This record gives sequence, structure tokens and C-alpha cells, in this order.
Amino acid sequence: MIGRGIALLDRLGRAAMRGVDEFGFGAALLGESVYWLVMGRRRRQRVRLSAVAAQAMEIGIQALPIITMLSATIGMMLAIQGIYTLRTFGAESRVTLGVALSSVREFSPLITGILVAGRSGSALAARLGTMRINQEIDSLTVMGISPVRYLVVPALISMVVMLPLLTLWADIVALFAAGLYVAAELQTSLAAYGDELLDVLKLNDLMHGLAKAGIFAVLVTVVGVVNGASVTGGAEGVGRMTTRSVVHAISAIIVTDMIFAFMVTR
Amino acid sequence: MSGDTIEVEHLHSHFGPRHILKDVNLAVRDGEIMVIMGGSGSGKTTLLNHLLGLLIPTSGTIRVLGQDINAIDPVALQSLRTRTGVAFQSGGLLSSLTVGENIALPLREHTDLDETTIGIITRLKLEVVSLAGFEHLMPAELSGGMIKRAALARAIVTDPRLLFCDEPSAGLDPVVASAIDDLILRLRDAMGMSMVVVTHDLDSAFKIADRICVLDKGEVLALDTVDAIRKSPNVRIQNLLNRRTEEAEVDPDAYLRRLLGEKEKGEGEQL
Repeated sequence: MIGRGIALLDRLGRAAMRGVDEFGFGAALLGESVYWLVMGRRRRQRVRLSAVAAQAMEIGIQALPIITMLSATIGMMLAIQGIYTLRTFGAESRVTLGVALSSVREFSPLITGILVAGRSGSALAARLGTMRINQEIDSLTVMGISPVRYLVVPALISMVVMLPLLTLWADIVALFAAGLYVAAELQTSLAAYGDELLDVLKLNDLMHGLAKAGIFAVLVTVVGVVNGASVTGGAEGVGRMTTRSVVHAISAIIVTDMIFAFMVTR
Repeated sequence: MSGDTIEVEHLHSHFGPRHILKDVNLAVRDGEIMVIMGGSGSGKTTLLNHLLGLLIPTSGTIRVLGQDINAIDPVALQSLRTRTGVAFQSGGLLSSLTVGENIALPLREHTDLDETTIGIITRLKLEVVSLAGFEHLMPAELSGGMIKRAALARAIVTDPRLLFCDEPSAGLDPVVASAIDDLILRLRDAMGMSMVVVTHDLDSAFKIADRICVLDKGEVLALDTVDAIRKSPNVRIQNLLNRRTEEAEVDPDAYLRRLLGEKEKGEGEQL
């Protein structure tokens, strides 16, 4: 019994150490990325714009169809639920306020972050993991090319730029889809819905969502890179760490979302 | 300062409790091909990774082109790395780039050459390794021997003073392996560079080496010319040269103890 307890403590201790180790690695990675961003040109190792553009295409443009579809669905779903709930109090005409705030402040950044984590964060982890086991990262290092500057910084920049932009697009699509349902259900015009939106939505609400999207972008990139760089054990290891990357990134997004809402909204 | 390209002094390396390299001393002279040879688990790849600065030793010093690679600042290390080339066992070609883009990568990253000049140099190096016309293919479309040659082309694209090759003929048929050996000799003669070649292939080692460093269980058993190594009276070297495993000479009682799962003294400290 005592032996089993000690073994459990041992496992807990090791897991905690691994967690601290990975957190430290992630922080160091972020610091090194900022260093290369600022000092790259001076050290004649600048970050290539073409690499950033390629990543932005992958992370942002190619994600537009799925983001559009999901945002429209969620916008409409919020409108349906909102009208259903508010009808209890005879206040269904106030649905625009609920839909606007919940979309812009919460659902759009959250859903976009989760989607990008599943799509691009996992791809980043798998790519780096495969490069690691194929000695591609070692070959960059021995060629005098910093893997962080060459591989991580372009992904980080494009993620930080594209995730808020995707969130903004998700806001527009969700609100438009919700408007279509509201207009049809409450027999009002889309223009009236638009006027009410402009009335209830403040710039602060929009920035709240976009700021969260920026933080999620950093989280998704760092989690993807830390997991990809930790791959051992061949193809099976790549699969394991890719799955782990998605789970960690989504967990980090949801927890950070709650902390952000707690700190900013109260 | 000596005229050696690489100097390794009292190098010790551990992976956790395992003592991988034990007091390794080695010098690679200017313009010579030094072959690091040994069986599986002898520590030769670990030694190569130390020479490349990919691992930090427990103790000891490694000077490459006169600079202590574990003590110099990152900027100097980056500069040093532009004067060395490495061809990894797996090739290490970036799978997302074409063969031509892979070879051009060090030039694009470290020089201000225009694209026309980079293209010419890239095609020139592909000619050298007999891969002319293959620059538009992806690494996944190449055979094993072609990947090794493309990796060599990338390693020499900046005309380095020092070239490292990890198992250049491993996994290749004898004809292709021999062609790779010929290519290594041609490169050394044409470009006058020093080379460190890690291999467990005896035929390849004897063909290309000026001197051979024999590693066994993390120790340097011998460091001498090809002829001296061939004639060495050392039993462990002769076992290696005659492809005899040590198993054949193991005490039957020790063998039985291992089968019964009994640990021998010192086990866990060896490779």
C-alpha cells in the first residue's frame, strides 16, 4: 500500500516536472522568437516574408470556408436559442443584444481558436515532429540556420495576424446569419437588425474578442511547437504528440478564455 | 595553435547515468579524411553530434577550425557553421523544398548572391554529385543513393573547409556505396577539404580513410593509418575487422546468467 502511494507520488512528481519543463521551453521559445524578430536583420538572418505569407495562406485563407460555415451555424443557433429563452419574458425583441455580445465577445474567438488549434496547431506539431525525426531540424542547425527563426517565427507571426482576422470574419458571418433568422422570425427588416447591432455593440466588445484571439494565437503556436519539438519514437511519436498538441491547445484556450473574461469583464 | 582542423581533448559524455564517451582524444589534420569506425552502440554517432555542437559534453574540449564550439558565442558559432558542411545519414533534406531549393538554402540564408548566381552554383554542385537535372524533384521522389548525393551537394554548396558525413554508404547496394566513396574522394581531392566520415562499413572505411579512429564502448581503441589498423594486434579491433561479435568469446556462465535475468556487475553503466 505504501509502495503504491510512493509510486503514485513519484509519477505525480515526474509529471509536474515535465509540465514545468515544457512551460519553461515554451517561454524560452517565445523569447527566442521575439529575439529573431527584432535582431534577425542585424544578424543577417531575417525572417522571410515569403515564409510568413505561405503560413498565413495555410492558417488563414484556407480556413475561411470551414470558419464561415461554423460561424454561420453558431450565429443562427444563438438567435434560435436567444428568441426561445427571451420569449419566456416576452422580451424576444432584445435578442440582438444577446446575440451580438455573445458572438463578438465569446463564441467567435473561442470557436475560431479551437478550429485553428485543431487544424493548424496540429499541422504545425506534426510538421515539426516529422522534421525532427528526419534530422531536418538538425540539418538546419548545422547549416547555421536557427530553426526557431526559420520555422517558428513565420508560424507565430502568421498565427497572430490571421487568428484575429479570422475572428473578425467569424463575427461578421455569425451576426449576419443571426440577423437573417431574427429578421425572418420576428418579422423585422435586416436593416433594422443592423441598426440595432450598431447601437448595442461597442468597439470595446469587438476588441475584447480580438485581443483574446491574439492570445489564443500565441498559445496554439507555442503548444504546437513544444509538442512537435518533443517528438520521439518515429511515426507513432508524431501521432501521439499531434493529438497531445490539439488537446493541450484547446484546454489552454478554454482556461485562458475563462481567466481573460474573469479579469476583464468583472 | 596547431594545424589541426579538429581537436578533441578528454571528451566525456553521459546520457543520464550512461557513460557514452570515455576520455576521447582525437585530432583531424588539415586535408585528411578521418573515418570514425565502430560497431553499433560504440558511440560514433554521439561523437559526431558532439563535433557538430548538437550535444553538450559532460567534460572535455572540442575545437573545430580553432574555435572551442562549446565556449564560443552564438554569432561566432553561426559563422563557424557556414564554414562546415554536414551530410546526415538520412540526408536531412527539407521535405517541403525541392532538391534545388534544398541545395540553394545555405546560399540564400548566408549570402547576398542574386538568384541567377545561386541557380548556377546549385546546378554546378548537382553536376559534381551526378544529379544534374534533378533540381525540380522533391526529396521523396529520390532513391536512397540520390538522397545521399543531394545531401552531399548541399553540404559542399558553400565550399566548406570541413565536411562531416554520417554513414554515407549505409543502406545502399555495393555499387552505389562504392560510387559514394569515389565521390567523397573526388570532393576531397578537388576541394582540398578535411573530412570526418562516420561509418561501420569496413570496405568503405578502408577505401576512403587517411586515418581511422576505432571506437568501442565509447573508448578510442586505436587512431592510426589504414595499414596500421589492419595489422593491429588488438583483439577487439581484429574482432571488428573480421566481423566477429564478442558474443562468440563470452563466458558460457555469464551467458547463462544473462538468460536467467541476473544482472552482471557494472551493467547499466555500459552502452
